[in-house]
Amino acid sequence: MDGLLKTGRFFTRWDESADGRAVYREGGRQGDVFYRDRWSHDKVVRSTHGVNCTGSCSWKVYVKDGIITWETQQTDYPTTGPDRPEYEPRGCPRGAAFSWYTYSPTRVRYPYARGVLLELYREAKARLGDPVLAWADVVGDPERRRRYQQARGKGGLVRTSWEEATEITAAAHVHTIKTYGPDRCAGFSPIPAMSIVSHCVGTRFIQLIGGVMTSFYDWYADLPVASPQVFGDQTDVPESGDWWDSSYLMMWGSNVPVTRTPDAHWMTEVRYRGTKVVSVSPDYADNTKFADEWLPAQSGTDAALAMAMGHVILREFLVDRAVPFFHDYVRQYTDLPFLVTLVERDGAYVVGKNVTAADLGDTSEGAAWKTVLLDEATGEPVVPNGSLGFRYTESGAGKWNLDLAGVRPALSVRVAPGESGAVEVLLPAFENADGSGSVLRRGVPTRTVNGHLVTTVFDLMLAQYGVSRAGLPGQWPTGYDDAATPYTPAWQEAITSVPAEAAIRIAREFATNAEESGGRSMIIMGAGICQWFHGDATYRAILAMLMLTGSMGRNGGGWAHYVGQEKCRPITGWLSLANGLDWSRPPRTVPGTSYWYMHTDQWRYDGYAADELSHPLAEGHLAGLSTADTIAKAVRLGWSPFYPQFDRNPLELADEAVAANPDRPADHIVERLTNGALKFAVQDPDAPENWPRTLVLWRANLLGSSSKGNEYFLKHLLGTHSNATATEADIANREVLRRPEIPEGKLDLLVSSDFRMTSTTLLSDIVFPTATWYEKHDLSSTDMHPFVHAFSPAIDPPWEARSDFDTFHAIARKLSDLARTHLGTRKDLVSVPMQHDTPGETAQPGGHALDWAAGEVPAIPGQTMPVLAVVERDYTAIADKLSALGPLTEKLGLGVKNVTFRLDEQVRQLAGMNGVMLGGAADGRPALDTDTKLAEAILTLSGTTNGELAVQGFRTLEKRVGKPLADLAEGSHEKQIRFADTQARPTPVITSPEWSGSETGGRRYAPFTVNVERLKPWHTLTGRMHFFLDHDWMRDLGEALPTYRPPLDLHRLLGEPKLGPDGAKQVVVRYLTPHSKWSIHSEYQDNLLMLSLSRGGVTVWMSPQDAAAIGANDNDWVECVNGNGVLVARAIVSHRMPEGTVFVYHVQERTIDVPKSEATGKRGGVHNSQTRLLVKPTHLIGGYGQLSYAFNYLGPTGNQRDIVTTIRRRSQQVEY
Amino acid sequence: MSVLLWGVLPYFAIVLLIGGTVWRYRYDQFGWTTRSSQLYESKLLQIGSPLFHFGILFVVIGHVAGLVIPESWMSAMGVGESAYHVMALVIGTIAGVGTLVGIAILIYRRRTIGPVFMATTKNDKVMYVVLVGAIVLGLITTALAIAAGTGGSATAESYNYRESVAPWFRSLFVLQPDVATMAAVPVAFKIHTLVGMLLFAIWPFTRLVHAFTAPVHYLFRPYIVYRSRDARPAPGMTTPRRGWDPVGTKDRESAPARTPSRRS
Repeated sequence: MDGLLKTGRFFTRWDESADGRAVYREGGRQGDVFYRDRWSHDKVVRSTHGVNCTGSCSWKVYVKDGIITWETQQTDYPTTGPDRPEYEPRGCPRGAAFSWYTYSPTRVRYPYARGVLLELYREAKARLGDPVLAWADVVGDPERRRRYQQARGKGGLVRTSWEEATEITAAAHVHTIKTYGPDRCAGFSPIPAMSIVSHCVGTRFIQLIGGVMTSFYDWYADLPVASPQVFGDQTDVPESGDWWDSSYLMMWGSNVPVTRTPDAHWMTEVRYRGTKVVSVSPDYADNTKFADEWLPAQSGTDAALAMAMGHVILREFLVDRAVPFFHDYVRQYTDLPFLVTLVERDGAYVVGKNVTAADLGDTSEGAAWKTVLLDEATGEPVVPNGSLGFRYTESGAGKWNLDLAGVRPALSVRVAPGESGAVEVLLPAFENADGSGSVLRRGVPTRTVNGHLVTTVFDLMLAQYGVSRAGLPGQWPTGYDDAATPYTPAWQEAITSVPAEAAIRIAREFATNAEESGGRSMIIMGAGICQWFHGDATYRAILAMLMLTGSMGRNGGGWAHYVGQEKCRPITGWLSLANGLDWSRPPRTVPGTSYWYMHTDQWRYDGYAADELSHPLAEGHLAGLSTADTIAKAVRLGWSPFYPQFDRNPLELADEAVAANPDRPADHIVERLTNGALKFAVQDPDAPENWPRTLVLWRANLLGSSSKGNEYFLKHLLGTHSNATATEADIANREVLRRPEIPEGKLDLLVSSDFRMTSTTLLSDIVFPTATWYEKHDLSSTDMHPFVHAFSPAIDPPWEARSDFDTFHAIARKLSDLARTHLGTRKDLVSVPMQHDTPGETAQPGGHALDWAAGEVPAIPGQTMPVLAVVERDYTAIADKLSALGPLTEKLGLGVKNVTFRLDEQVRQLAGMNGVMLGGAADGRPALDTDTKLAEAILTLSGTTNGELAVQGFRTLEKRVGKPLADLAEGSHEKQIRFADTQARPTPVITSPEWSGSETGGRRYAPFTVNVERLKPWHTLTGRMHFFLDHDWMRDLGEALPTYRPPLDLHRLLGEPKLGPDGAKQVVVRYLTPHSKWSIHSEYQDNLLMLSLSRGGVTVWMSPQDAAAIGANDNDWVECVNGNGVLVARAIVSHRMPEGTVFVYHVQERTIDVPKSEATGKRGGVHNSQTRLLVKPTHLIGGYGQLSYAFNYLGPTGNQRDIVTTIRRRSQQVEY
Repeated sequence: MSVLLWGVLPYFAIVLLIGGTVWRYRYDQFGWTTRSSQLYESKLLQIGSPLFHFGILFVVIGHVAGLVIPESWMSAMGVGESAYHVMALVIGTIAGVGTLVGIAILIYRRRTIGPVFMATTKNDKVMYVVLVGAIVLGLITTALAIAAGTGGSATAESYNYRESVAPWFRSLFVLQPDVATMAAVPVAFKIHTLVGMLLFAIWPFTRLVHAFTAPVHYLFRPYIVYRSRDARPAPGMTTPRRGWDPVGTKDRESAPARTPSRRS
């Protein structure tokens, strides 16, 4: 080699370095110009990605020659303070790929309408001259209506004008409101926090016309129902910076590097502080490789592991050695010391209800809501402060707190002075893999209080977990190695395949760490355990570990649930303006799962009775009910909402009721309901007058992304072709009328607004081209970090795209015009359930499911049945109201969680900043007529972004709690976050009563720290965190206490084949749909960049064993078929997958590579074609403390993880 | 016809080759690339590519020896007609077959490896046809020569292109094309020559240009090259352009003086 160099040197003269490695030349860098041009740009604009992505990362968007070119991470997050890593940079490859969409081939550039519909409409309009009459003419003719419905999803979208598209949309709404009622108009848009303004404006439009917003958090099965059950809170979790405070970190079913990519660095960094990181996942997930230890629990069996760990913790840390830190904590902050009645059954006892002051003979206000414990010193029953009986009563003012006032609660009735006995209790268990119940016979110490035989929740917990104590009757495990008895470590090993030794060791480490660190043991929990049918039971078993070890309400400790969770930090402003509470109340909201379960007729294919989930010891509250019946019953009892509400147009009904009884119109409705002249729509969902008629989707991809039971949606809601494979179930319905025919094509009009062609837009009748996240003003926040920051338009919406804000204003204007001739001002009878965080949650004491229709209680709106209210709606003023802040803002105030802000000063400020509207229905009111003004209003009306309101709210709360709180916000009293601040850089929020943690003094946010440190109660029955839930339905399902419930046995319940290979070249597997690292949520599965980085196309991940069973190699085409639909995909065979489980990543859409199915001959489905809705009745409970409805707070989850499917290798020749 | 083919066409090819290369260099330096597909596939490439490239190198050397160097010079060096032919046939056949096998592997790879085929343009496909055509026809002429030489018949002396094609080729460069000589050669040589001319004519417009910029010098220089900034187009070095100037009216005559001191 040296020779070559010498040769070169011989012929050429050059300037070189001493060692001859480098040569120096003059010039010749013209080529650099290319690279300089490549990265040159004209401006950089701050924006972010905005629907579901909880990252909420601020990005720099680069613009060159008016073209969006690329994006990079912003780096200007405020510091987290000394001794810890920073938030910047945040952002993942998905976010960095987003700018591809601006000019992508799938971009929606113009308004589109379904061609067939457009022709019909134009013809009718030419004939009749009026848009509403034309629409009525088209949909009034069954033949023409079916024609355009059956064209859905088969191409045929044609370009139209904004004028025409808004006209059709408005006309359809006016016609529906006039003919069927506003509660037949629905809207759906998920996760407001990540583009608050866009979500707000559309929701505000829907609510102003009296339409229905369907929920998303529970519908997505992201809501951990255990959170309302245990904490009385929708979800409140630590920011990711608080992982750094943890000294023992478990990741349970949460693949942090994939689904929380910008935050994952905290998890990897905290290991350098010596924190042990443990992963629980069935597959070798990406997060597992960061873990110090991996517990590979079989999918869906996590609760068995958690129960065994709880067994160890109770045995070693609360019984054998009473750790003072744990004992003090559970006494004050949990319901463990509270008394529970025991009811005799078959010579033994079963668990009854919480003992309340009413049981002690107290007849004063709220007595039925004041729970009771024993004083360890005197042995006397005591009614401590803080329970629900102190929250809404006049006498409770200043006493709604966790101050025990010197009383030391007895954890066990045994330790309190006085006589005590012991009885055998029968406890429900679910040891069998097929999910059927069995009975455990164990013993508890007892005592008689005012004639009631009682014990404590702690005593029951020990019995439940099988932690024996001397002198108690019943059968107990012989030790940790007793594999036959729940819930020992050896018992779980057979179920989860996690070695008993590992379960014991991790439990000990977990609790020891909590003891030594003051509760800094944290569990990050995720979709892998949440989205199961019994996900709430699993969560409760895991939360029990945290509560027993004093880890909740701590920095660095407690639960950290990260599944579609979001935090709309400026919540009061968003919630109030979105629901139009400044103009009229109450709004119509509904849990998506109940709504779609009924309206897509999935209930007609659901073949098991609700009490098949019950337990042998059940009292029979669900006996004879189908799942649909439980929904109907929950609606009737005022627990859970459903729309349409009645089988009549609520506008006509309001007129009739007001005419019949002008002072108390509700009485007229009650009378009609009790005599049967009026029926709830849910009782006959297939009657044409009870169908949903219009549906507006924005920021949403309902069909193809979240529509569990996609084929049922296509067939029954939309009335187009589908791969639906199910046959109608043969089951009796007691509450719901089963018509002979199952209707197809319920929906008159499907409208969607999107910037890309999705599975949903392909099926829509009208598609509006919307601005991307780089083309509009908006706000973003998350719970992963404590900042709010702005979206900004890097360019104006290109082609004919408009922002959601402008779209809804255009529709509203059109609707208001059409309403002049067709609607005018009408009265609307609105029916809503009793709501959480309102006095309504104290409607049904004792948690008894008493039915007015059966004569068990009188029919009283707002107590034993839904609230009935008459709302006036001026349909000609919808556009005016949409663009101005209404007068109820000052008149009634706005607030959340029962803290109401007085807002006179803020309204004056807004009028000054935004100006006021002139003329029209909103004359003189503060203007909300641009997106930036709406953003400004949201920030001004929220405590987290307006220090004055935070302080005011805390002062209000102090009066109820009787403890100092306002100091948490006083330092920020004069701080107001303006929209311009959020545009300048991510801005930290202010501690506010809207949330349960504190950021005061730059502290990292952890939930419930205010509860623990300031003795503010949780929003539950006892005011404490609940292990025990005594509602009738909870007890009947055997879930009064934490327990293990195996995944649903769909062979037993729905007749699906049994799991495993059947010898015929096909295999039955669990079918899971987790999120991938190449899509969701800052971009989607159609993004060319991400498709190129992954396998691309529709894929199913399977284990080598399952692949071998069907003779499939990697990349072979396979077909999944089950009782719901079909899916055609390529197999990815990977050792990462455990045998018997396959992954089909979430939202692989119809737009990319979907071939025809061999099984049906039609184009194969999407991932949700294989799923269906399975409703857990206990999620419908309402009117009882924390088990009361609120939007996205409590509702049946649209869980999908219990699904099984049959996979076989198909012909490798695929057709499209 | 012969004049057109052997007197005019060669000059067209030369003009296109030189003019096209100059044009390409001036206007499409950024496209001056082979568009390497090594990223998509490398196993077949690492066999096929060297085989082809070294093969074609020897083919070029062979052509130089046969066409450029007059037979008399060769004889003067002591390489007689038969010795030359044996040498030419043996080396030429090995090089030609090596080239052919190499390009066969490369084309097989290009067609069957999805990503590589996706990265293949129409231009590439045309170039491949011409290139393969030239190589195959060249081998055919060689084969014919062998067949003639070993035919056993005393009359069928192997065809000596050094007495016909080579003089014609050299005559082109002295601008006195010896059309008659070329018109008399066997048809196989004619076709090979024509396809060869076509190849040179399209050369500048295809990826073949990379041959002109083979990084030979890389072998003979230190492996790190530092280049100084060019005098002109570097950031911060542009001369300020004309901006806000005094407009020359009474009140704006001495605008710069009135403007609060702005550093120039």
